[in-house]
Amino acid sequence: MSAAPKVTQAKYATRRAFSERMAEYGHIDRDFVVFEADIGYSTYSYLFGQEFPHRYFNMGIAEANAVAAAAGMASCGRTVVACSYGVFLTMRAVETVRTFICYPNLNVKLLSSHGGITPAIDGVTHQASEDIAFMTTLPNMKVLAPADTISSRKLFEVMLKTPGPVFVRLMRDPLFDVYREEDAFELGGSKRLIEGDDVTIATYGDLVFQAIAAAEELITQGIRADVLDLYSIKPFDEAALRASLDKTGALVVVENHQKRNGLGYELANWCLKNRPVAFDNLGLDDTFAESGNYYKLLDKYGLSKDHIIRSARRVLAQKGT
Amino acid sequence: MTRQADRSLEQCVALVQARARQVRRHIVEMVYLAQSGHIGGALSAADIVTALYWDLMRIDPARPDWPDRDRFILSKGHACPVWYANLAMRGYFGLEHLRTLRQFGSILQGHPDMHKTPGVDITTGSLGQGLSLGVGMALHGKLAGKDYRVYVMLGDGEINEGQVWEAAASSAKYKLDNLIAFVDNNRLQMDGLTADVMPMEPIDAKWRAFNWEVARIDGHDVRAILSAVEWAWTVRGRPVCIIADTVKGKGVSFMENQRAWHGEAPNQEQYEQAMAELAGP
Repeated sequence: MSAAPKVTQAKYATRRAFSERMAEYGHIDRDFVVFEADIGYSTYSYLFGQEFPHRYFNMGIAEANAVAAAAGMASCGRTVVACSYGVFLTMRAVETVRTFICYPNLNVKLLSSHGGITPAIDGVTHQASEDIAFMTTLPNMKVLAPADTISSRKLFEVMLKTPGPVFVRLMRDPLFDVYREEDAFELGGSKRLIEGDDVTIATYGDLVFQAIAAAEELITQGIRADVLDLYSIKPFDEAALRASLDKTGALVVVENHQKRNGLGYELANWCLKNRPVAFDNLGLDDTFAESGNYYKLLDKYGLSKDHIIRSARRVLAQKGT
Repeated sequence: MTRQADRSLEQCVALVQARARQVRRHIVEMVYLAQSGHIGGALSAADIVTALYWDLMRIDPARPDWPDRDRFILSKGHACPVWYANLAMRGYFGLEHLRTLRQFGSILQGHPDMHKTPGVDITTGSLGQGLSLGVGMALHGKLAGKDYRVYVMLGDGEINEGQVWEAAASSAKYKLDNLIAFVDNNRLQMDGLTADVMPMEPIDAKWRAFNWEVARIDGHDVRAILSAVEWAWTVRGRPVCIIADTVKGKGVSFMENQRAWHGEAPNQEQYEQAMAELAGP
């Protein structure tokens, strides 16, 4: 693939696409259950509850109890999907996730909406801009972040079939679609969305679309970017990253998350040990965001297409020296 | 339900009392040998945990993963010597492991680990979480149509944790009459008297207000323990909380009601005195 992929307006947010697939999949796998913490109409887990009322447990506004009860049920051999917003699942309930899901390596899957600053207009209290740091740090936890409708649907199945704890980061609002029904997704996989040999842009989730837009504009400036969607954040696709960096020798990591302890830090660490390259990372720079229009926030906090372009040119210049 | 049909109540009480004395000796010895561990809260819970493992619970030590077994959750996981002693005595693993408590490579971790210790139904040790774990286990039982019961042992200090009350509310919502909680009400927590550190009385009224059925017993009276649990088995549509008034350090005179014996290990002289007191008739 060298030309930019076809990007279309998404009808549904990833949270909805994921939960719709969960409700469908309840007919295929008749064993798993869903725990919710009173935001079922927002995570769209209510769709599962409508289909399977006896397999749907609304534990009220009490995330730590919901997650621990999920662990208790999982200890009996049943897979549980626990749903809430990222801030509550990964921060309020983080010790429960650590000690009672990750430590015993139980089959609890975390459906986590409102990742990063995608709930832009909700403000900082609802923006999970540190979720990846918390979840990737926990032993046994796997971390996935779909960007669009198809990848959400497919990664639901990956999540359910992956043994042990899995965290899936979803987003508040409908953005864009890029994947097709025939695209395959797997734990530890990635997708190359645009092929180039000047600079690698590695990203996940909503910023996949900023990266595509940046790469398209970079082409007009004579710069060919290799755009990787690392939808599997932990484990990430080391082989794809290495192959890309072997061509480009330059890496920009773009994520809707704090720079600190996000994928950028992870890949910088990997590069230093395995494949030193010119490097930059974009993310929240040790700051909280604020309420407002999603695109205005991306721009202000350094995550938008224009910032990616500048960053790409920066690492290209570094590479040249 | 599991009371031995061939034994009278008197015989059951006598058996549990004898085993509880042995359990207390193991607790003291384990903590003495490790020179680390939580002795006071293990001794206060000893009669209840022993009654569960020697009389009340439907278990098969040869099959620790038996799906239909009753579950036990030591939510006050630091008291695990009482759990480990009972499990070893029931044959889940050899008694020789009790000498390895908390040591490198031991199957007996500082706090309970479900993957390291046969018979430990679930990992605990972080306070305030065990009742939530029990809710999940009890819900699974209902959903799977199984008739096992889930027993949770809480500390009276532990119920300071707000999550206990989240779990209490959800237990009542789902009418978990297969869930029985004990509060080991020994009136001491790490920093002092529960009444001083964080008063929770009236405890009975709190659980009743959360729509639980409540009994209050002397937690060292084996007959009362057996009767209360048998009564709990008859309750339908509600979870049951048995508030057990106990003595921290019970059975060793100089440890009883002493805050310092929450997490202290006895020296040789104290160990010998304790073992002499627990030698029995």
